[in-house]
Amino acid sequence: MFSRLVCYCSIALHSFNYSSTTGLSEMFVSKQFVRFFGSTTSVWNTSKSHLAQLRKKTGYTFSNCKKALDMHNNDLEKAEKWLHEQAQALGWTKATNVGGRKASEGLIAIVINKNHGAMVEMNCETDFVSRNSSFQTLANLIAKSCISIVPQVCNTTKSLHKEILDGKAVGSLAAPDGKTLADHVALQIGILGENMVLKRAVLISVSDKILLSGHSHPAPQDPNSPLLGKYGAIVAYHPKDNEPLTDETQTIGRHLCQHVIGMNPKIVGDLEKDKPHENADDEKTMIYQDYILDPETKVQEILDENNIAVVDFIRFEVGEAETSNEEPSSVRAQA
Amino acid sequence: MTSLISSRIVSSSALHHVFKSALNCGESKCLYPSIRVSQWYLPNSYNQHRFYAEKQVYKRDKPHCNIGTIGHVDHGKTTLTAAITKVLSERELARVKNYDEIDNAPEERARGITINVAHVEYETENRHYGHTDCPGHADYIKNMITGTSQMDGAILVVAATDGVMPQTREHLLLAKQIGINHIVVFINKVDVTEADILDLVEMEIRDLLTEMGFDGDGTAVIKGSALAAMEGKSPEIGSEAIVKLLDECDRVIPLPERDLDKPFLMSIEQTCSIPGRGTVVTGRLEHGTIKKGNECEILGYGKKVKSVITGIEMFCKTLEEAHAGDQLGALIRGLKRDDVRRGMMVAKPGTQKLSDCVEAQIYVLNKKEGGRTKPITNRFNSQMFSKTWDTLNQLYVCNKELIMPGEDATVNLWFPKGMVCEQGQRFTIREGSITVATGVISKILPNLTPEQKETILMSKKQLAKRQEASKKGAKK
Repeated sequence: MFSRLVCYCSIALHSFNYSSTTGLSEMFVSKQFVRFFGSTTSVWNTSKSHLAQLRKKTGYTFSNCKKALDMHNNDLEKAEKWLHEQAQALGWTKATNVGGRKASEGLIAIVINKNHGAMVEMNCETDFVSRNSSFQTLANLIAKSCISIVPQVCNTTKSLHKEILDGKAVGSLAAPDGKTLADHVALQIGILGENMVLKRAVLISVSDKILLSGHSHPAPQDPNSPLLGKYGAIVAYHPKDNEPLTDETQTIGRHLCQHVIGMNPKIVGDLEKDKPHENADDEKTMIYQDYILDPETKVQEILDENNIAVVDFIRFEVGEAETSNEEPSSVRAQA
Repeated sequence: MTSLISSRIVSSSALHHVFKSALNCGESKCLYPSIRVSQWYLPNSYNQHRFYAEKQVYKRDKPHCNIGTIGHVDHGKTTLTAAITKVLSERELARVKNYDEIDNAPEERARGITINVAHVEYETENRHYGHTDCPGHADYIKNMITGTSQMDGAILVVAATDGVMPQTREHLLLAKQIGINHIVVFINKVDVTEADILDLVEMEIRDLLTEMGFDGDGTAVIKGSALAAMEGKSPEIGSEAIVKLLDECDRVIPLPERDLDKPFLMSIEQTCSIPGRGTVVTGRLEHGTIKKGNECEILGYGKKVKSVITGIEMFCKTLEEAHAGDQLGALIRGLKRDDVRRGMMVAKPGTQKLSDCVEAQIYVLNKKEGGRTKPITNRFNSQMFSKTWDTLNQLYVCNKELIMPGEDATVNLWFPKGMVCEQGQRFTIREGSITVATGVISKILPNLTPEQKETILMSKKQLAKRQEASKKGAKK
């Protein structure tokens, strides 16, 4: 009998809660009310197991799950629906709250699809998050969304065209599900609770004669999984004399990417125009650098051996833009 | 620094502290001897005090233990650390540290290898703790490898408002990776959470701990509010929770094994022959105890000799028994001077063996720390220094294609001659005048085959030729 009463009371309060627009204080009252009676009645117990269920199912924070249940009178389905609806808004609120915090960890994601390629940098605060699978999925999603717009952004009639986009431009792109990428990022901020920044992206399109190869470091263990890492490189090269592709030319592309990641060259270089640097250790012209997999040979020798020429390359490193103009440490938020 | 030291300093305050701490904490058993001591030494310490006024002396009267906090950025790791120092400072066991001091330590940053680490020290009644707080996974790994602060145990901080975060899984993986088996959980922000949620949070943490291979049901979970402790409010979830947490740390986290209990091992620094008596080897006893007349084995650089220690000397005096940490000279029977050299080890027979292939975790120094600019790839040759020995080594990268400066990695190291290697032994890898990497041996692998050994000194082209030849041989 008594528990009924509590039920009615809380329902009454909840409905009142709905009708009011400034529901916060009332909700507080209702929560206190339920708690006050709750511990001695069966009402709370069901809600507790509901809370555990809801949390397990959705993964949203306990306080949000609790809020959802309170608002929907312990109706699991409604609460879950509400949570999903609110997630986006909550994500944005969280995103604004943590927006000022420094995010210099993260991932580079690369997608290559025949003549098109995309590489993006996605930042977060700690490398714990960058190791988390949901963050990795997000980075991959962004790279995939970027590659799908390559034909619209790049001039495909040119032999090679690359376009660098800043974070804002990338954020306004649409993901396959119709939401913007910025929405997806905000959603993850809500779930992972760390600041995340869509830093930059590069889109590249090449003609049929040129090959694209992408690689990340550390490379994924499974060759079929998406390319994600702290460093990323895309190399564009073409076989001399238009010889047909062999497996070796494929592998060499990956090795050249490794070279770009490891040796950090600044330009490809031209045998006729550029001269080797006096000190081999400071060499920034790719063709004159020591080849990473065999320090006794130069890159040019490797290229000649495989009968290919490098057209262009792009290299991304997580946080490299951040370290160049490092902010004072006091900006870091207090944990 | 500590109540015990300060209590030695001024008599009135000493009596006051002793009285206070005896009142505060029930464990008067361990306090008793120190009370006696403080009174005994009082007359002399007046003069000493003046000399120590500038800088306090680290007193080794409690066993030391390293501990750290791990958890999500918003869950209050820093607040908890600050709260611990505050609560302990009230018992004169720590110096209060504010958020700023813990979070941003510019002098630490500037020092290079300890970059991004906050170090705080405090004492409980039974132990002295070094407390580490790092922002990222890579930082903890780097600490473990360089030995800046190897953690013996960890406090996992979880805010009750959020519960376990998706990345808590990664935090626990890290703990596993750096060899932490003992975790104490602190559920924070209890003051802004309803009691019923707390049980669910606790259940969830225990489930996750079990899933990640820890003892989920047996792990101590303390609920409290670091903020309340900082502000001195509601002691039952504030300061008392902190005290409870530290008690659990004292109980759960074991002390590292004392070096005296291990079989003896000494790394040879110098050798000299004394005509008519034999050869004397000098060095520091790493662990164990040596007695005159002990049998011993001398190993290193692919050689192994058995003999007997016929005499031990220290400071030009003979002694019967030497303990770990002693710098000594040992006279070894029937040993020719050519049989031994610097870098070999004197060990209890049968306890050590020669290995020429080990697995190690290394941290490759970046340019700022004085390392290379170029990455490390397979078959990287360099000189490795560990204890008193150094040897050529060849490096093979595991699970990666290359190691960039500033990264850590698991590698295999091959030596041309067998050396004494122990798990947990630290070393440095140098190339010319550059320190390339620092590391710790994680596993002793089976010795190399003669064919593998031959390849160590081959160039890439020679190796390719040889591989081709062996392929052809296989076809025939």
